[in-house]
Amino acid sequence: MNRIGGWLLGLASVLAFALLYAPIVVMVLFSFNAPRGRFNLVWQGFTLANWRQPLADAALTQAFLASLALALAAAVLAVLLGGLMALALGRVRLRGGRAIALLLALPLTNPEIVLATALLNLFVDLNLPRGPLTLLLSHSLFCLSYAALTLKARLAGFDPSLELAAQDLGAPPLAAFRRVTLPLLAPGLLAAGLLSFSLSFDDYVISSFTAGETVTLPLYLAGAFQREISPQIQVLSTLVLLVSGVLLILATPRSSGSGRR
Amino acid sequence: MLASPKAEGHRRARRWWPWALLAPGLVWLIGLYLLPLLALVPLSLSEPVSRFGLDTVFRWRLANYGEVLGAYGPVLLRSFGFALVSTGLGLLLAYPLAYGIRFRGGRWQPLLIGLVVLPSLTSYLVRAIGWTSLLGDNGPVLGLITALGLTDLGNGLGLLRDGRLLNTPTAVVLGLTSNQLPFLVLPLVVAMQRIDRRLLEAAADLHAGGLRRFRLVVWPLSRPGLASALLLSLIPAAGDVVNPLFLGGPNERMVGNTIENLLLVQLQAPRAAALALVLMALISLAVVLQLRTGGLDDLALP
Amino acid sequence: MISPIHGSSPRISPRGRRRFLRQLGLAAAGTLVTPPLLQSCRGGGGGADAPGAGGELVISTFPLYIDGDEPGAPGSVARFRADTGIQVRYLEDINDMRQFFARIQPDLAAGRPISQDLLVLTSWLAERLIGLGWLDPLPLAEVPNARNLIPSLRDPSWDPQGRYSLPWQSGIAGIAYNIKATGRELTGVDDLFDPALKGRVSALLEMRDTMGLLMLGDGKDISQPSWDAAQPSFDRLEKARRDGQIRRFTGNDYQNDLLAGNLAACIGWSGDVAQLSLDDPDLRFLVPESGGVLWADVMLMPKGARHQEAVARWLNWVYDPVEAARIAAAVQYISPVEGVQEILAQDPATAELARSPLMFPDAGMQSRLKVFGPLSETEEARWEERFARITEG
Repeated sequence: MNRIGGWLLGLASVLAFALLYAPIVVMVLFSFNAPRGRFNLVWQGFTLANWRQPLADAALTQAFLASLALALAAAVLAVLLGGLMALALGRVRLRGGRAIALLLALPLTNPEIVLATALLNLFVDLNLPRGPLTLLLSHSLFCLSYAALTLKARLAGFDPSLELAAQDLGAPPLAAFRRVTLPLLAPGLLAAGLLSFSLSFDDYVISSFTAGETVTLPLYLAGAFQREISPQIQVLSTLVLLVSGVLLILATPRSSGSGRR
Repeated sequence: MLASPKAEGHRRARRWWPWALLAPGLVWLIGLYLLPLLALVPLSLSEPVSRFGLDTVFRWRLANYGEVLGAYGPVLLRSFGFALVSTGLGLLLAYPLAYGIRFRGGRWQPLLIGLVVLPSLTSYLVRAIGWTSLLGDNGPVLGLITALGLTDLGNGLGLLRDGRLLNTPTAVVLGLTSNQLPFLVLPLVVAMQRIDRRLLEAAADLHAGGLRRFRLVVWPLSRPGLASALLLSLIPAAGDVVNPLFLGGPNERMVGNTIENLLLVQLQAPRAAALALVLMALISLAVVLQLRTGGLDDLALP
Repeated sequence: MISPIHGSSPRISPRGRRRFLRQLGLAAAGTLVTPPLLQSCRGGGGGADAPGAGGELVISTFPLYIDGDEPGAPGSVARFRADTGIQVRYLEDINDMRQFFARIQPDLAAGRPISQDLLVLTSWLAERLIGLGWLDPLPLAEVPNARNLIPSLRDPSWDPQGRYSLPWQSGIAGIAYNIKATGRELTGVDDLFDPALKGRVSALLEMRDTMGLLMLGDGKDISQPSWDAAQPSFDRLEKARRDGQIRRFTGNDYQNDLLAGNLAACIGWSGDVAQLSLDDPDLRFLVPESGGVLWADVMLMPKGARHQEAVARWLNWVYDPVEAARIAAAVQYISPVEGVQEILAQDPATAELARSPLMFPDAGMQSRLKVFGPLSETEEARWEERFARITEG
């Protein structure tokens, strides 16, 4: 019985990883393709040329930088707003606290397209021209819930008496917060920030409704599928993957403690 | 502590401090989420004044809902069908994977979790483009199926359509499953991490076999994770726009594509709002069911 | 005439343009001093201060619809910049015209100017914008070269006095196919519904092109399209979609499916297919006996455009037959400028293009080409809705 169980476990895991990584392998492979014509979709032959000029596609690079800036700004804003909310909700029993927690969780239950519809409608009603500002507003909104809930979960496992103890030892509330709470929260802040960043960086649906003339990376990619898929798309994506992979490995030893709980 | 006047002062401060902390976030949530969402309700009951203007008049036009459901009901059903199938398929893979990571992962556990998350850090459009190369008529997957002589079987099972894979329901479901896997695995791992190993050891001491240990300990204790995994996968899958667009054909369109078309192409904002609200109502139903088993704010997040 | 830089070097440029384009960069160079690349780069700073330039000219258009920069051979936008000192923001941001309309609609409807000074859009949308009063008349008095407009496009149905629009390019919607995949030459619209091609056929999301071609195939008049006459074609399309005959409805993305071998035949556009066939000689473009749909993309100035003087300079520049010939040779559509055919014929590198009936329709081709006529606002709504139910349902 256990052996069959082990086999099934292995099989499912292999299949799962295959499903996760199949398109990634294609992406990495095609970054070395020498395409014929303007669509890098059919394998033609190996070349390093694309890697020698990773930024050769100026429009792609520009969209990439726009997405980078947007995701950073949205993540910072979301973590800031969400962190404050989590602090309030996580530490004090508030009248209406449950309602607020529900309001925070609700956006997670909307398909993106519903939110996109609502936001576009709002911006049109307000005569707010679609562009970087509306993008930032919408992205920070959908990241806010994720950030706040992630941080709230971290705070739930955090003992408030530590901060009280610090205050009792004469530390002013703000100093107690900075010396005690903030360092304990740091990993959570980082996790929430990374989650927000990746959500914003990858968002297509809401951006396509609220971007106006601004071109983010996903919007550029959707357009590129219509006209030309340059190998630089795969090169740049592979680079992003490499950087995140390295970050991941660097982050691993520090969190390895959780594995032996 | 109670006697300390300083603590008393803090306590009074604490009455308004939380609200000050909440205020900016609440402004965001109410201004950018709650009010715009509520505004969809009157919009969905309105009528456009002219075809190319943006003004609409509120007319209690309930017919919008009937028309939208009549025309796009099948698309709605299909969307939930695809979402359910891909989530089910994903769970079949994600549950054992999560189990393996938690109980067999050892010190590799964090790295394995990282490997599950890593693909979602590349743009899902790039992944969709990758799938089109893999599943295309001259692609490797179909090549393998043909070489193994499985084409007829695939056609018979409805997995292939006329020997094709790209632009079929199979391709869309595959793409969705691949996208949702991390959202299925993570909450499950988080839930399983909360299972105390000592419980399993105790069960083993009581001579419970592997299957019984699983049924009596792991399964019930991983249920909360299962519930949030279901929601985190079903909701985005049902509203997905990209996979049906790239990997499907006109018979695989999902409700997200329809809403986009109504809003941006047909310029029928009221109908788009009506369809969006129907979609949301159906999703809320699923959420309410979840709320009865566990709190929404207890969703295990990565 | 071919300089060593361009030669016939097989290196594919990063932007993936074809060798051919690089050669043709020189086609017109005989009559024109190609400014050095450096100079065109410098244009960035100088443009805003140049007399008469009045700031940055913003153009929104379809992607890959002009000759781009190649190493050593600046494209038309860069050369215009260098010639006139006018700074241009050339946005290739129109992928789906109807979505683009949704984007500019809120501002124009409220009477606010948009950031663009010039738009390149298809004639039916031009007609809608003219009707809505969202355009300014073009400064044609300052565009002497406008007299080079070919006679067949003067006084068009969408803009009876020609005050608001000047054609950019026109082209033909017809049938593109891969002869290797079909195994035979195609002859007409019926071939799209051949069971042998089941699941390997696509049609365009551009309603007038798909419906126009089908209606012509059914022997219907599309110059005055009527709802009743269109029903059989709608039914046929709907059935083909349900049966899985039609694999996809596409924008420009039929091109990658055609190249990847996922499509055997599709409804496509003449210039695209001409360009693609440089990559894949098995691709063919058919204008059926029953007729092809002739369309025109036109340049329009949205109401309140800020740089009208610069717009006039641009219009005049692209209507210079020498410049127009370069653009035409790159995009391979029907140029609206008289004299282009002669210029292309003079150069051996482009002489073949001058003989192409798809770029310069001869009398026989001309008689097969039909323009999809106007639809009233309510009619259009009805058509769009039925079409959307077929493409999105």
